[in-house]
Amino acid sequence: MNLSGDFTFKGPRATVFEILQDPDVLAKALPGTKTLRTTGADQYEDVMKVSVGPMMAAEFVVKVEVKDKMTPERFSMHIDGKGALGFTKGTARIELREQPGPITLMNYTADIQIGGKIAAVGQRLLESVGKMMTRQALDSLDKELQTRLRTS
Amino acid sequence: MPPEAPYLSSRVLRNEDARLLTGRALFVDDVQLPRMLHVAFVRSEYAHGRLVSVDTAAARRRPGVVAVYTADDLGEYLKPGPVLVNPPPIQGHVFHGCTQLPLVKDKVRHVGEPIAMIVAESRYIAEDAIRDVVIEIDPLGVVVDLEKGLAPNAPLIHEHLTSNVAAHVIQKKGDYPEARRRADLIVKRRFHYDRGASGAIENRAVAVEWDAKSEEMTIWDTTQAPIPIRNGLARMLGLLESQVNVIAPFVGGGFGPKIMMFYPEELLLPWAAMQLNRSLKWTEDRQENFFATTQERGQIHDAEMALTKDGRILGVHDVFLFDTGAYDPYGLTIPINSQCTLLGPYDIPSYESEFTAVFTNKTIVTPVRGAGRQHGVFVSERLLDLAAKELGIDRVEIRKRNLLRPDQFPHNHEIMFQDSAPLVYDSGDYLPTLEQAAKLIGYDQFIREEQPRLRAEGKHVGIGVACYVEGTGIGPYEGARVTVEPSGTVRCATGVGTQGQGHFTVFAQLVADALGVSVEDVKVVTGDTREFHWGTGTFASRGAVVAGSACHAAAMAVREKVLDLASRVLNAPKEALELAHGRVSVGGSTDSGIGLGELAGKANPLRGAVRPGTEPGLESTAYFGPDRGSTASGVHAIIVEVDPETATVAVKRYLVVHDCGVIINPLLVEGQIHGGVAHGIGNAFYEQLVYDDQGQLLNASFMDYLLPTATDVPAIETAHRETASPFNPMGLKGVGEAGCIPTGAVFAQAVEDALDGSGVEITEIPLSPNRLFELIDAASRK
Repeated sequence: MNLSGDFTFKGPRATVFEILQDPDVLAKALPGTKTLRTTGADQYEDVMKVSVGPMMAAEFVVKVEVKDKMTPERFSMHIDGKGALGFTKGTARIELREQPGPITLMNYTADIQIGGKIAAVGQRLLESVGKMMTRQALDSLDKELQTRLRTS
Repeated sequence: MPPEAPYLSSRVLRNEDARLLTGRALFVDDVQLPRMLHVAFVRSEYAHGRLVSVDTAAARRRPGVVAVYTADDLGEYLKPGPVLVNPPPIQGHVFHGCTQLPLVKDKVRHVGEPIAMIVAESRYIAEDAIRDVVIEIDPLGVVVDLEKGLAPNAPLIHEHLTSNVAAHVIQKKGDYPEARRRADLIVKRRFHYDRGASGAIENRAVAVEWDAKSEEMTIWDTTQAPIPIRNGLARMLGLLESQVNVIAPFVGGGFGPKIMMFYPEELLLPWAAMQLNRSLKWTEDRQENFFATTQERGQIHDAEMALTKDGRILGVHDVFLFDTGAYDPYGLTIPINSQCTLLGPYDIPSYESEFTAVFTNKTIVTPVRGAGRQHGVFVSERLLDLAAKELGIDRVEIRKRNLLRPDQFPHNHEIMFQDSAPLVYDSGDYLPTLEQAAKLIGYDQFIREEQPRLRAEGKHVGIGVACYVEGTGIGPYEGARVTVEPSGTVRCATGVGTQGQGHFTVFAQLVADALGVSVEDVKVVTGDTREFHWGTGTFASRGAVVAGSACHAAAMAVREKVLDLASRVLNAPKEALELAHGRVSVGGSTDSGIGLGELAGKANPLRGAVRPGTEPGLESTAYFGPDRGSTASGVHAIIVEVDPETATVAVKRYLVVHDCGVIINPLLVEGQIHGGVAHGIGNAFYEQLVYDDQGQLLNASFMDYLLPTATDVPAIETAHRETASPFNPMGLKGVGEAGCIPTGAVFAQAVEDALDGSGVEITEIPLSPNRLFELIDAASRK
């Protein structure tokens, strides 16, 4: 599955980048996350519950490793998720560009392989679920950004 | 033949339906055994990868879990399954038989391969425990596409081989290069033909009872081949064949995947039942079925036909690839069927056919109804349509010019068929079949009047007519035992399993005719090794032909015993005796004679002396084995209307004129044809197994894998012709696959005809509204 798109954060790039590396923020922002803990430098483990179409909420343990970090311009994430209904494996690349405002334009591309029941039964809904979850995450990250900008 | 056969060729209602329709028929999942445990399997989610580790500790700890087995627990029982069908002795053939271990040891080769087996107090607990098993797989490159799978740098599925070639076969007759030189026209295309899942209502299931005190095992299994399963399992488990009973009770559809034998689950449950000394049951769920039950899939043909300008075929040349999946336990049956059936009912003087079977990281391929025949028929029928267009000859006319004539039988095609015998057609009368089909569908009138009239109204209607043959009734043999019980009821036990064909009726008809009893008084037993343990199974449209001929032979032998004994008891010469209404009488007199039951009692006396050499009872066992299969044939005709905006296709009429030799029961023949056409329509326009480039099956549910529903299957008109086969005493031929063989070809022809002028050319099946829309769209841009 390929997911790609753009998103505009209403704030400076440095703060956006900071938020994107903050496990506490990510834990709140990523839909379905039960726990998210740091397992090493730039390594996280996210336990999340995801529903796809006819499949009931299923728990996935997703290991994320941040790589190729160029603060505050870009980073990539290696994703390795496992759960009762299947697996997900892949890479996401994120680029941030600051523009006057200041606002930050995010461009993301993810190439994710999905297997098991979730692929076999949920296939036709996966892309829309993926897009929806991405959108929800980005919206709540932007909210967090606004809060930070107000309080700082 | 008995002097009178009132039941032969009559529309006898099905003996088994009362039990089936009132829920009194036993299916494997109905089996409930004392202290029975339930089984679930942990399966691979990857299509290709090294198995690094399997951690079952948490699963073992789960309350209610009794045992968890991995490959390492199986000891010497961990052996690859047998190659079930050895390749025919074709000169120069290459075949690499690679079969599956019951549980993965080192490497997974398709999604759904079983890695661990969980035994628990309930299926719920077993399913929960699946999630406790932690599996590490190191993914490898995946082979999905046939051509990429043959590329030099492709990942190797079986690493002891040097490529992913599973088999390579060339068969030739005549001099094709010379035919090509002499030809006025060469038509050449690439064809894709993909088949699908069998879609049986009942998935696979196995229940096992091991009685340690009597050292006897009973296995209920949805197999199409209970006797070979019994024999194989006995050998593998170190038991005598007589210690193992296999019962294939009523089975909700076989269609081929259940003739695949020694599936991992079928091997593991009996073994585990002995280990645990407990009864076990596993019933496949629909999700598992999409991965773990065999399928039939794609072939790619590069084919050409050489013709004269008056449309006579001089030769055909075909090179094709065949997707055999991750293993090839069923040998070359499917591609050889494709190769042979391509020749169809036509006189084709020269033929060169070469195929390569390719291993892919997908579920194993074994025959599904049609078993590759439809692939070959699609190629030859489409080439004829294209040639007709090029030459300006009518589509029915070009077929007429090429059909084999009655004086050409028996016809030797000079290549080898799947049963390791030369492809010889025993008999046939093809031209009248085609003429009758064209007449019944109103072909000439449709082309001349209706189509132009409807086109003028803006309707896109088309007609298709396609011919086919069906190799049926192959050996080696089947048997039957017929017994007259003292109650007057007749029992007929045979070794084949039943999956809805109507065996309880056809076999009863044959026996009833031989013994002069009512068809309801013949109780048929199928698929139970306790009752009959010689035979091979139900496949290749052979049940009625081979097992039916055995039932007939056994019943005729009992008839002789009845007449011999009655002659003595009634003190009348045998020639004066008549069998009717369950009685033997002299000259048909109603007030004299003796009932068959009473006679059976006299044949098994409790005291007194019998003549030396007398066998007790009125019972006989007989076997039948034909030298080779008998070739059935037919013509399908269809009228469709296509909506070019939405690319939906409405089937307006569907007609099958069929010749399966002497018909035992027209009702059942029609039932087989109706079911086959439904499968064929599904294959043509609805069903497709869609794999992504990582070998993940993307539509493994009936939400996404579309089976045709009652509203998608048209009313099917049928007409019968009967050209008796000389290969068996009653002149029978099989009919099990006739409905689905030319369906894709006739559908494509009619849709193309409906879109005539749009430039759409159909060289692939399955279509779908989506795919047809793309073809229409692409043609409009040219």
